[in-house]
Amino acid sequence: MPDLRIDATVNGRAISRPAKPWQRLLDFLRDDLNLTGNKEGCGAGECGTCSVFLDGVLVKSCLVPVAKAQNARVETIESLGRAGALSVLQRAFHKAGASQCGYCIPGMVMAGTAALRANPLAGREEIRERLGGNICRCTGYQKILDAVELTRDVGNGTLPESALAEEEPADGRFIGANVRRLDAPSKVSGALKYAADMTMPGMLHVQVLRSPHPHARIVSIDTAGAQAMPGVAGVVMADDVPGIDGFGVFVNDQPVLARGKVRYVGDAIVAVAAEDELTARRALDHVTVVYDPLPAVFDPREAMRPGAPVIHDDAPDNITKHIPIRVGDVESGFARSDLIVTQTYSTQAIEHAYLEPEAGLGYVDPDGVVTIISPSQNITHHRHMLARILALPINRVRFIMSPVGGGFGGKEDMIYQGILALLAIKTGRPVRYVFTREESIIATAKRHPSRTTLKMGLTRDGRICAVEFRMISDGGAYGLSTEGVMRKAAILGAGPYNIANLRMDTYGVYTNNTPSGAFRSFGALQTQFATESHLDICAEKLGLDPFAIRRVNAMRDGAVTHTKQTLGSVSLMRALAAAEEAARWEAGPPSSRGATRHDLGGAGNRAPCTLGARFAAAEHAAQPEKVA
Amino acid sequence: MARRRGRGMAACWYGIARTATVDRAAAWAEIDDGGTAKIATGVTEIGEGILTVLAQIAAEELGIRPQDVTIGDNDTARAPEAAHAGATRQTYMIGNAVALAARQARAQLVDVVASQWGVAANLVETANGEVFARKTNHRMPMGDAVSLCKSRGVVPVGAASFGTDTTGLDPVDGSGRPWQAYVFGCQVAEVEVDTLTGEVQVLGVWAVHDVGRAVNPRGVEGQIEGGIVQALGQALMEDYRIENGRTTTPGLAKYILPTALDVPHVTSVILEDRDPIGPLGVKGIGEPAMVPTIPAVMNAIYDAVGARITALPATPERVLEAIKERERASRHRAAAE
Repeated sequence: MPDLRIDATVNGRAISRPAKPWQRLLDFLRDDLNLTGNKEGCGAGECGTCSVFLDGVLVKSCLVPVAKAQNARVETIESLGRAGALSVLQRAFHKAGASQCGYCIPGMVMAGTAALRANPLAGREEIRERLGGNICRCTGYQKILDAVELTRDVGNGTLPESALAEEEPADGRFIGANVRRLDAPSKVSGALKYAADMTMPGMLHVQVLRSPHPHARIVSIDTAGAQAMPGVAGVVMADDVPGIDGFGVFVNDQPVLARGKVRYVGDAIVAVAAEDELTARRALDHVTVVYDPLPAVFDPREAMRPGAPVIHDDAPDNITKHIPIRVGDVESGFARSDLIVTQTYSTQAIEHAYLEPEAGLGYVDPDGVVTIISPSQNITHHRHMLARILALPINRVRFIMSPVGGGFGGKEDMIYQGILALLAIKTGRPVRYVFTREESIIATAKRHPSRTTLKMGLTRDGRICAVEFRMISDGGAYGLSTEGVMRKAAILGAGPYNIANLRMDTYGVYTNNTPSGAFRSFGALQTQFATESHLDICAEKLGLDPFAIRRVNAMRDGAVTHTKQTLGSVSLMRALAAAEEAARWEAGPPSSRGATRHDLGGAGNRAPCTLGARFAAAEHAAQPEKVA
Repeated sequence: MARRRGRGMAACWYGIARTATVDRAAAWAEIDDGGTAKIATGVTEIGEGILTVLAQIAAEELGIRPQDVTIGDNDTARAPEAAHAGATRQTYMIGNAVALAARQARAQLVDVVASQWGVAANLVETANGEVFARKTNHRMPMGDAVSLCKSRGVVPVGAASFGTDTTGLDPVDGSGRPWQAYVFGCQVAEVEVDTLTGEVQVLGVWAVHDVGRAVNPRGVEGQIEGGIVQALGQALMEDYRIENGRTTTPGLAKYILPTALDVPHVTSVILEDRDPIGPLGVKGIGEPAMVPTIPAVMNAIYDAVGARITALPATPERVLEAIKERERASRHRAAAE
């Protein structure tokens, strides 16, 4: 296909440039015009971080072919304001604390601007709808909605412009003050460069061949076809690792590139660096891998059975980690109980869905230091591991943490930095690897799915006599953070309660599923979901209020934890009282009494969402005029 | 009535910083020309606002403004180890390290100024960009104090680390001291359940969390609000599906995330039970914020419609099935009576 020539007005300036017919407007803006303020989050029109104005209309530039920009007016985040000269809406985002990681924010700023252009008096529910095509994973949206409302109010004069200014702490004390985020101007203006926004002179582009099989022996890998392609500068696989291969947060069981076998769909096998991304991607078609499929196991309970397929030779029972906690004697505790309740709970795998897919750059500096720039959540540990993998002294490896567009634990794993290092060494040039959303989803860790059986014995007045808690969790193909997640799950799982007799076991198990790893709340979420649900089930059976049953058992100052640690001050009783008061809780047993409660529907609730109600109301309001 | 409301609550606890191992972090501080400051520590933002928090801590310790603090440098070759951005450890570990390093740098500056003025060092204060001696008229801008230090051949710097007194767990009974700081919390959720479709909307969450000491209350709220919405995603809609090792939710069109339309109003209540060990009294908030949300929502669904969801997520299909199951059970009971 011949090149296009695009004549357009971009951010007020005329441009006339060639473009490839397959390019999206997003690629043209970011790669050709170096307007990297708007980001790519999903490539599917779902997240909205690539939102720009095309002839004044908010569009997702990842869904717009570049040809649509012909003779059009394009405005990106860079047109709205810059640090030192921010728009009112950008200043309101700064004031309200509406940006956290910042990766969704350029799109949010575009969508918020569009919302108020469409209706300068839009109410909060209408603003929600108008921002409904933009995903934020950090903020919970509340401060973003606050910021758009603040902009509206300053815009229509109901609030003075000074409402956007920094509040100086009266006493000059900065600890405890709502200081505006120092990094917000760079985020609301799109000026901050994340790894995928960075380029280096002579930079090559990386693509990775990943396993289509959940479990298979690699018989052979032939890269000759890829090596021979014009534009390909280097190809690496496991044999290129000079040192001791293997990384992981707790055990180093994952090779940089598959070594001898693959253990999940998405396991990296071969990486290519080429002059451009398309050539690198095409080169993968010229790599031939011969697989010998092995029996696979996808259920952790099956994986624990004798005779199950073995995923790692050094874990013949497929158990990554078992953490036991023992307090007292559960059998005597159950014998003393008036009520015993047993229930099974399960939780699903969860994707971190940080808006920034993984991306990084690698190069060897003039002094021979292998340098990686990436949104790593743990540059300290990554440096240790990469030095061992590369057989280099630790000060010949350097990690620079680029701004992180959301992590939530998912960027603690050194899942691609080793590939960048190997290709930078092999080619002698800077290399960059940017994941697609799909690649991020199949290749990187998830929250551990879990299945818990919880048996609790209590006295009639709600005192816990004994707890037996057993959780089996799918750790997937590699260890990553499984050991730590099982440990935290065990220590915290039975909740902040005095339990004289406890038998707690958490098991992380290898399977051929996508690996599970670190995820915000790290095992405590799965286990406390079980315990806190269970306490309500028991409270109903005993006719107790949910707060009351927790107070009976709550740890207090000087409590001894389940790991036999003596605590000092324990704020649980204060937290219970404060929540009861803030929510104006009406006491009573949890027995589906919703219909009869008097504490519902008060302050602190939002209006239920009824899509389109706004339009129906507007139409209704318009009817009498028509009749008249 | 097709839509029914209910309420539920849940409590939580959490440990601050790395689990069952000794945690540590370091920082370097320099009071710089013009009365500004440089802080170097191997950490960067993952969105939680730590750079602003560290700048506030340094500013308070040194008596300057947060915007006068240059912070970084997230680079293993240029900054001391601060280890990882996770485990609800940044404010606790790195915040305390920055405070200790800033105190050292300040002490160097104060010594020079005190000797210039001929007063005892413990009378010298730094605040609002100035250095002054109590009970005297001595006073000078911080920038002049830095110049004075340099004229005496002193660059006011500090370096400090903060470590935890913690242990591993016994392999048999799990006993040990996994953390030196714990936080507690409690959330109440109000939901509306559509009994025709099974759809659940969370309308309000009241969230109380002990954070030790809030360095930036708005930032703490941001962590609570964001944590609750992530948990709400897991409670109601998110589901990474995998069949025979292959995902059936490979993109954001299939993997459903909460949008601005799906989220409740969150009322945050910040409790401050100060940590007695660290120099600042701070603890943390990132992870505990999302721990009680899911059970509070499941308990609220039960309150609304009597359906107990024990397998996440509580999709409309599952909620509807649980409602029907409850109706079948109550018909059985009625028939038996």
